[in-house]
Amino acid sequence: MKVVLKDLVKGFKSADAFAVNRINLEIDQGELAVLLGPSGCGKTTTLRMIAGLEQPDSGRIYIAERDITDLAPKDRRVAMVFQNFSMYPTMNVYDNIAFPLHAIKMDRKEIDRTVREVARLVNIDQLLERSLRQVSGGEAQRVALARAMVRRPEVFLMDEPLSNLDAKLRVQLRTEIKRLHQDTGTTFIFVTHDQEEAMTLGDKIIVMNRGDIQQVGTPHEVFFTPRNAFVANFVGTPSMNMLPGSLRVEETGRIFVALPGFELELPRRFAAGLRRMSSHHVIWGIRPEAIRLVSAPGGNCVPGLVELVEALGSRDLMFVRAHDQLFGVIVDALDSVAAGETCLLHFDGAHMHLFDAASELSLLLDE
Amino acid sequence: MAVPVRERALAYAILIAMAVLVLIPVLAGSLTAFKPQIIWISSPPVWFFQPTLENFEFVLITRQNWLHLRNSLIISIGSVLIALALGVPAAYGFARFRFRGSRGLMQWLISLRMIPPIVVGLPFYAMFLFLERSTGLGLRDTHFGLILTYQTFLLPLVIWMMRGYFVELPAAMEESAMVEGYTRIGALRRVVLPVVWPGIVATALLNFIFAWNEFFLALILAGNNTSTLPMAAGTYVVRARVEWGNLFAVNLIIMMPVIVLTIFLRQQLVKGLTFGILE
Repeated sequence: MKVVLKDLVKGFKSADAFAVNRINLEIDQGELAVLLGPSGCGKTTTLRMIAGLEQPDSGRIYIAERDITDLAPKDRRVAMVFQNFSMYPTMNVYDNIAFPLHAIKMDRKEIDRTVREVARLVNIDQLLERSLRQVSGGEAQRVALARAMVRRPEVFLMDEPLSNLDAKLRVQLRTEIKRLHQDTGTTFIFVTHDQEEAMTLGDKIIVMNRGDIQQVGTPHEVFFTPRNAFVANFVGTPSMNMLPGSLRVEETGRIFVALPGFELELPRRFAAGLRRMSSHHVIWGIRPEAIRLVSAPGGNCVPGLVELVEALGSRDLMFVRAHDQLFGVIVDALDSVAAGETCLLHFDGAHMHLFDAASELSLLLDE
Repeated sequence: MAVPVRERALAYAILIAMAVLVLIPVLAGSLTAFKPQIIWISSPPVWFFQPTLENFEFVLITRQNWLHLRNSLIISIGSVLIALALGVPAAYGFARFRFRGSRGLMQWLISLRMIPPIVVGLPFYAMFLFLERSTGLGLRDTHFGLILTYQTFLLPLVIWMMRGYFVELPAAMEESAMVEGYTRIGALRRVVLPVVWPGIVATALLNFIFAWNEFFLALILAGNNTSTLPMAAGTYVVRARVEWGNLFAVNLIIMMPVIVLTIFLRQQLVKGLTFGILE
């Protein structure tokens, strides 16, 4: 079902710090939306307000056009999976999954049929008679998924459900959540601080920071066209190389950015955004993947010294010092340069990002 | 955990020595309860004799201490039930919600436990007297009066112990149940209380022991209709002599329920007292 948040505000104790600062958001029917942000950004509070576990100070929440702001959690037809909790310890797996059905006084036969059907969906049908002690962490989180699904909620809420699992399980369950989403066609809202998780799972990513929504977009949009410096820095690992700079426009129309120690030429696509600038101070950025190693010097090329190389598998992450600035550069492992040697970096204008130093907004916004 | 044999032997030696130290007087006393009157205080003590139940017969029937037993049971069980009924929800509230003065209230509650009974005993007596004279509500020498008085000591214990158990549980446990179709009360009843059940048992037992053994408040506030077993025990210590056999017979009757309950509930008790420490 479609979820709409309208002017949602939630403050905690201290008057000036807002946990959620008047956010507006629409999540479409059947979408898998990911709330992404660092801890304390308000993503979990937002989710808990949708679940009804926190009451907003002001604003309304709608699910399928129905105003649910004042409803008790149990009447909202949502389900939630929590980070640090997955099973009711006094019940076995079967009773855990059946528990939500007892609340609606379903008859025993119907409960049995539903529980087994849902258990099969998340591959725990062979665990039904087990107690909590005989269930691993990953299986317990599957039980939580099954329990969430059993009442066929209109919206699934997931609060970092994978954070407490080890890396391999996390990837495995991530795939399964994605599959579950496709099979059920239900709206999912998933909270995480892990941008890789957000990128792989989300149809739509909502990047949050300090109680505000920074950007809403597809994984590609938030990665390739970050709306502001925060999103550019937060999304992507290793994070984007960013430096303070100042702009210089020649009479010919060519644009340059002066960075600490060197100058680069910018492509013309920045010209439009330039007109909105109040000063010539910018934040310049480029992703580690977008920096190339070249053999012959040319435009936008800078010599550097490799300080450190981290192997990522098929690719290497090199830390290169150029003009006293440290750049992260990701290259194919075969092209890697050993630490202590020099190399030539090429910054491709097509992959550069520019943000107004004052507003931190991207110069590429078309508004 | 593998504990080296030598350390384990040492631990057992210490435990046995402590047990002997504690149990010998209890054993000697309990034996006396079964001795005929002529050998109650013989010196050296007689260890082997034909046991008799005449002391029990005397205290329970002749001196009608079964009435005191009945009073003790009513008052202790009543006190514990009321303390749990009020204290468990209060503890849950303290564990889950912060409100103005919640910390201060908790500290005030623990401070109640530090007050010697005499400090509350006499004011309670005065209050009961005042109530009786002004409203005709008689609480002196009633079971309910004592049950009410004991809440001063039982409620803080229940609230502090149970709050500890509730705090250990992730809030997500109830929240999950609330999203899944239950009210907060429903979640508490169906999910949380079953988990903290060993804690409730341990709390109930400790409270029962307090109420069961309590002597001083009963001495001030109880009368002919409500006097308890510990008070009955006191009647065998008379000015000139102590009726040892009768005294120990009553003592044994006093100890029995606590011992039986402890043995019966020991698994829950260990679980409850080590909640969160052992997995």
